[in-house]
Amino acid sequence: MKTLAKKDLADLLKTWAREYDVLAPAKKAQGDIIFESFREDSFTLDYGKPPLPPKSAFLPHTEAIFKVEMNEFREIVAAKRTILFGIRSCDMMGLMQSASFMTRDREDVYYRAKTDNTVTVVMACPGPQNDTCFCTTTRSGPVAERGFDLLIYDMGDDVIIETGTGRGADLVSLYPLNDTDDAVAQKKIEAFKERAIQSIPRVDAVIEAMKMLEDGTADENVWEHFGDKCIMCGGCAFVCPTCTCFNVYDQESQPGNGTRARSWDACLYGGFTREASGHNPRHTQALRLRRRHEHKLLYYNKTDIQSALCGCVGCGRCSDFCPVHIGTLEVAKAINKVK
Amino acid sequence: MTNSINEFENADLFLVIGSNTTAQHPLIGSRMINAKERGAKLIVIDPREIPLARFADLYLRQNIGTDVAVLNGMMNIIIEEGLHNKVFVETRTEGFDQLKSVVSRYTPRVVEKISGIAAPDLETAARLYATAASSMIVYAMGITQHTTGTDNVKSCANLAMLTGQIGRPSTGVNPLRGQNNVQGACDMGGLPNVYTGYQPVIDAGAKKKFEDAWGVQGLDDKAGLTITDMMAAAGKGTVKALYVMGENPMVSDPDTSHIEHALSSLDFLVVQDIFLTETASRADVVLPAASFAEKGGTYTNTERRVQLSEKAVTPPGLAKPDWEIICRVSTLAGYPMHYGSPADILKEINVLTPSYGGITYDRLEKGHGLQWPCPNEEHPGTPYLHRDRFSKGNGTFLPCDFKPVAEAPDDEYDFMLTTGRIYYQYHTGTMTRRTSILEREAPFPLIEINPDDAKKMGIRKDDMVELTSRRGSIKARAEITTRVPRKVVFTTFHFHEAPVNVLTNPAHDPVAKIPEYKGCAVKVRRCI
Repeated sequence: MKTLAKKDLADLLKTWAREYDVLAPAKKAQGDIIFESFREDSFTLDYGKPPLPPKSAFLPHTEAIFKVEMNEFREIVAAKRTILFGIRSCDMMGLMQSASFMTRDREDVYYRAKTDNTVTVVMACPGPQNDTCFCTTTRSGPVAERGFDLLIYDMGDDVIIETGTGRGADLVSLYPLNDTDDAVAQKKIEAFKERAIQSIPRVDAVIEAMKMLEDGTADENVWEHFGDKCIMCGGCAFVCPTCTCFNVYDQESQPGNGTRARSWDACLYGGFTREASGHNPRHTQALRLRRRHEHKLLYYNKTDIQSALCGCVGCGRCSDFCPVHIGTLEVAKAINKVK
Repeated sequence: MTNSINEFENADLFLVIGSNTTAQHPLIGSRMINAKERGAKLIVIDPREIPLARFADLYLRQNIGTDVAVLNGMMNIIIEEGLHNKVFVETRTEGFDQLKSVVSRYTPRVVEKISGIAAPDLETAARLYATAASSMIVYAMGITQHTTGTDNVKSCANLAMLTGQIGRPSTGVNPLRGQNNVQGACDMGGLPNVYTGYQPVIDAGAKKKFEDAWGVQGLDDKAGLTITDMMAAAGKGTVKALYVMGENPMVSDPDTSHIEHALSSLDFLVVQDIFLTETASRADVVLPAASFAEKGGTYTNTERRVQLSEKAVTPPGLAKPDWEIICRVSTLAGYPMHYGSPADILKEINVLTPSYGGITYDRLEKGHGLQWPCPNEEHPGTPYLHRDRFSKGNGTFLPCDFKPVAEAPDDEYDFMLTTGRIYYQYHTGTMTRRTSILEREAPFPLIEINPDDAKKMGIRKDDMVELTSRRGSIKARAEITTRVPRKVVFTTFHFHEAPVNVLTNPAHDPVAKIPEYKGCAVKVRRCI
């Protein structure tokens, strides 16, 4: 394993940035945290849980997929050599689940091109980033078990860098890092993990809610209650690391010429499930919320969860940002309450 | 708003009248829903059973246009039961005796006859509002878009003053502004009778101040025309040219055929907009404007908060920020106007507008906005108004008598049409109808009709229905819902396919000149 003085991380990223587009956490003038191409002046390690998961690196909010010009079409599969630096373990799990979903029955070439060209560097969490973190419940953190190319542990003045793949090893070779005794490092890592796991409370309500959904014992009035409150903004889907639904639309620039693009969509919108006849199998907001939450806590579990607990990775962002408090945590607790 | 959005968190009661808050101000609506969950009370008064009504402790459905009677009725009960705030009335207000004498005629029984609200329900509402530790009145276009709009607003203010539910945190009279900068546009004198910060054009001192600052003589000391007046004057030929910015009167103004006549009577029409709207397509000159993301500057939101907005993308083609277009037009017209940036303009605003005196670019860059009045650079801004005194000293009660809508239903036009908005579309759809996901959610207009009426007329879900008023007809699909009471139909003004303002009545409030979009008589027919 390798180590580096924490103060030299910016220099490491600067070196990497010569060969890659390094997406790293940045603090903007008014304190907002975003992931953007590395810049020394805005780069930060004090970023907690970034408001948005890194999914847009692979599934941009809006992406042209082909162009039509003079009745000929040309596919646009865009990707550049990228390093995704500093993502959290829960988000790594989100990326793994999404990548599996996007290639399961039919390969999404646009998505795949980006994952093929991206190296992921995970920053392990020393503890909960805020009170909605529940990755120890969903088995998706605080330390990534796999999927990463590099994994960094913050040990105070130094960081320990664990290599997960050959791509990670290539990155490590680009910069003079210090060697460290593996056994000593492993010991430190174990202590780090232990502290982190102990400090993130397990949310039994989530596990219990999953059981009740599976048994069909969850009270359906829960959905009616949340359906009345929901303001249909779709924000929970946009901040969710495992939501990858998109809509496809055409933009005509001139007759016969134009672009087909896709952009993020959300199952909370009526039009998402409305059929051409006008019939909508999920015709109320209650039904749409139910679909979304069952997707995370019930249906998805049988296919793509990558050894996690379920299709929710426990990042808590939906609970952080929903203006009317309809996040996974609130839903799970409400399901438990009516038991 | 007299008060601030954050104050919703601590209010004990909300009286929502004429605001479909969850649909039109969803983030404010969600604050009320969250407040309900911690135990706040909610009274909703609306002719339509809006989504917020499901959360209400008390939902009262008044007949359209009877708000003055309802509010007078509440004040009648409050005074009768001695629930008014005697100290506040004594020390902070004047004209209580006149108020008392007017509202004494509006007993719960009388109000029940006018409004359809059962007397005991009105009593409960009055008691809850008056006795809660802090009550906020929340209203929107349901109060203002009436021929009695000004009276409705005055009555809300009377109620708040009578109970002392104003001048403290989490109280007040809170009109929710419908656009991100409509407050700012008014603050900047986008009104016919004032300069910035509501300095009257008839005030000689204000006139002199602006003449000196701008190096001109003879600024007009008479109030100008409102939109309603301008259109009438254009129709008569006394207004010859019109310069329309970011407005689409061909779809948004009442009685479209009258607007069409007015615009076609003009010698010259200029439209400045980000898209070629129905109005812009009739213009002699179209000036392409930059959208919000393509320019920098400030917006002033519903809680009087001035906030900075940065340019994110470059405007397409020839489009320019509105301020640049105006500077260029002015310079060409013979008055050179050379501001370098929005920051330059804000500097002038700071000097000429007392309530914006301390709202500098520098301070806005450092924080999350400032709420006016903010007279100097040391001032932290004002979260709520009228703390120790009203702007004029003591608040004067301005009691109003109830007047019915201008065009009540009769034997031929037997339905009342009320108009409004839906969650997914915005105004005349200039922007939202070009946004695929919003258009997917609400692709066509719907006419809401009560199931009892629909049954009688053989109208089924999605049947085409024709509405006809004395001014025109529109067709759209039926949505059968108890959201509207019997003999009332509702639709929106978002869709050019069914332009509801073909139907609406141009009758308007005598003071504010706002048209009565919320009520006119129509007949309903199922199309075969």
